Amino acid sequence: MEIRTSDRFPGVQWVGDPGDFIKVDEARCDGCANCVRVCLAECYEIRDKKARVKTLAECMECAACWYVCDKGAILFSWPPGGTGFRTDWG
Amino acid sequence: MAAVETCDVLVVGAGFGGPVAARRCAEAGLETIILERSRVPGEKVVSGLVIPFYGFTFGPDFIREGNPPIERPICRVVNRFVRGGEIYATDSTLRVPKPLALGYSAYCKPFCTWLADRAVEAGAELRTSTTAVEPILEKGAVKGVITDRGDEIRCRVLIDAGGTQNRLAIQAGLRRKYLPEALELYMLWDFEMAKEDVDQTFGLSMEFFHALPEEGIGAPLGYGSTLYIFTYRESIHPGLGQFLVTRGEIPNLAKLLPQYFENFQNKVTRWKRDIAPKVKLRATTWDVCPIYAGLIPETRNMPIFGDGILIIGDAAGFEASAFGDGVPSAWFSAELAAEVAVEAVRRGDSSPYVLREYEKKVREHPYITWIITDWRRWDLRKVLVSGDERELRRMIRDHWGVGAFRYRYSGRPLAKAVREALRRDPHAPLKWMEMFTRYFRNWEENRFDPLSVS
Ligand SMILES: Cc1cc2nc3c(=O)[nH]c(=O)nc-3n(C[C@H](O)[C@H](O)[C@H](O)COP(=O)(O)OP(=O)(O)OC[C@H]3O[C@@H](n4cnc5c(N)ncnc54)[C@H](O)[C@@H]3O)c2cc1C
Repeated sequence: MEIRTSDRFPGVQWVGDPGDFIKVDEARCDGCANCVRVCLAECYEIRDKKARVKTLAECMECAACWYVCDKGAILFSWPPGGTGFRTDWG
Repeated sequence: MAAVETCDVLVVGAGFGGPVAARRCAEAGLETIILERSRVPGEKVVSGLVIPFYGFTFGPDFIREGNPPIERPICRVVNRFVRGGEIYATDSTLRVPKPLALGYSAYCKPFCTWLADRAVEAGAELRTSTTAVEPILEKGAVKGVITDRGDEIRCRVLIDAGGTQNRLAIQAGLRRKYLPEALELYMLWDFEMAKEDVDQTFGLSMEFFHALPEEGIGAPLGYGSTLYIFTYRESIHPGLGQFLVTRGEIPNLAKLLPQYFENFQNKVTRWKRDIAPKVKLRATTWDVCPIYAGLIPETRNMPIFGDGILIIGDAAGFEASAFGDGVPSAWFSAELAAEVAVEAVRRGDSSPYVLREYEKKVREHPYITWIITDWRRWDLRKVLVSGDERELRRMIRDHWGVGAFRYRYSGRPLAKAVREALRRDPHAPLKWMEMFTRYFRNWEENRFDPLSVS
């Protein structure tokens, strides 16, 4: 499986294709940007007053975005087994 | 074609709690499967990590009797008080003489792998790279899970050891996601440092840096963790965190957390002079941690069992609110859940009528309820209002200094746990001493049990 790294977050690898394991339900999103404020990986952006997943490339699967979304607009699930973030230094 | 199979106990998660429950069940002769979504146990677990001594002394026998991969015995907590980048006071009254230890630092991947190896050794089957996608529900009872390959694994009892995000129990309709007020977002940095330098700069201590908010090196007091440096064998592991809610608002943590650490590195002389020249950044990670789950009634009162399911560790909200240590309670709850699962399988009844025994055992446990409802960290908010540095020092001494052992704080659960241990085994203290001594020797010789995956 392909392994990616990031200059911004050393010591972490992203394995394979995790797919769209986090999605935004636009109908529920009110553009409050709470998700943007808590995402250290800058996965989100606000466009036309709605949150959008820009990229999950550096996502560490912490789900902070899901917790702070009181509109229930963030649909959070786990990537398929063996894919996504991993580290030797956690 | 999707497969359907059955087992007695299905454990979801091979982090800190899951393997402990699985080993117990397998030892009792139950057909036990563990599912873990990562390729190697522990490589998706991000933690502090210093595991406090009480997890070892009062936790599973096999950990106490084994030689798990620890990074460094921690014998002393050093509290630094910072103003204008300088340390104006230090409190290191919380200490024990070696080979005793207040706790042991560890990396998650080797430690969880060691635990999972012990479960496999006892006969449990470990399936890595497998995500439990949803529970199988029949008339409100949990009957197993569907995996990411679409396979059905049916069981008599499901033990949910999936950690903080707790998806399965939510999908089963038992629990809701944690409130953001209960969760701290931690950012962590791992720095390589030569062993001699760690020995010389820190010895067997870990350090906390406390400051009023204007210092900018950490979250407002009580709304997060002051910056800490945990020390490992040949590395150090600073971390800091802030709750997802501060004074009713969701702060811009994406900006603040890196900013606090940058300020710390640029301002604090102890870092600039004694540490920075000797270290090299190796990793940056983060995770959320349900530290206040026990302090908030809505989260504390969520069920920890249901029809066919027992919930342990972080998934059950068993995180210590004062220090943020969740590993001991993951171990304690894993053992209690396993005892009840074994009984349920033996009786052929995993209805709530039998499984509720788990909740009773958790409530009676000397540590769990106490540590998840400890107000010490929250109380720092008083200093936030008063801005009184003397009060801050008094509170830290009382809570993270020698006062921590007072009866009204951790002295009470400790005394109760010791009494219970002595009742079961009058030789328990000898076994503890033997463990502390052996762990220390293992550390000095850098020799631990071999791991199945390095
Ligand atoms: C930053 C930070 C610092 C901490 N510091 C300390 C400390 O110093 N001392 C201490 O004792 N504790 C500390 N803790 C807490 C400690 O890490 C946790 O309490 C402990 O890991 C909980 O164990 P657990 O088994 O409940 O969950 P975890 O150890 O998180 O294990 C959960 C496992 O389940 C797997 N999983 C989850 N869902 C699924 C699924 N659906 N299918 C398959 N697998 C799944 C995960 O990949 C993971 O391996 C800290 C936590 C954090 C975040």
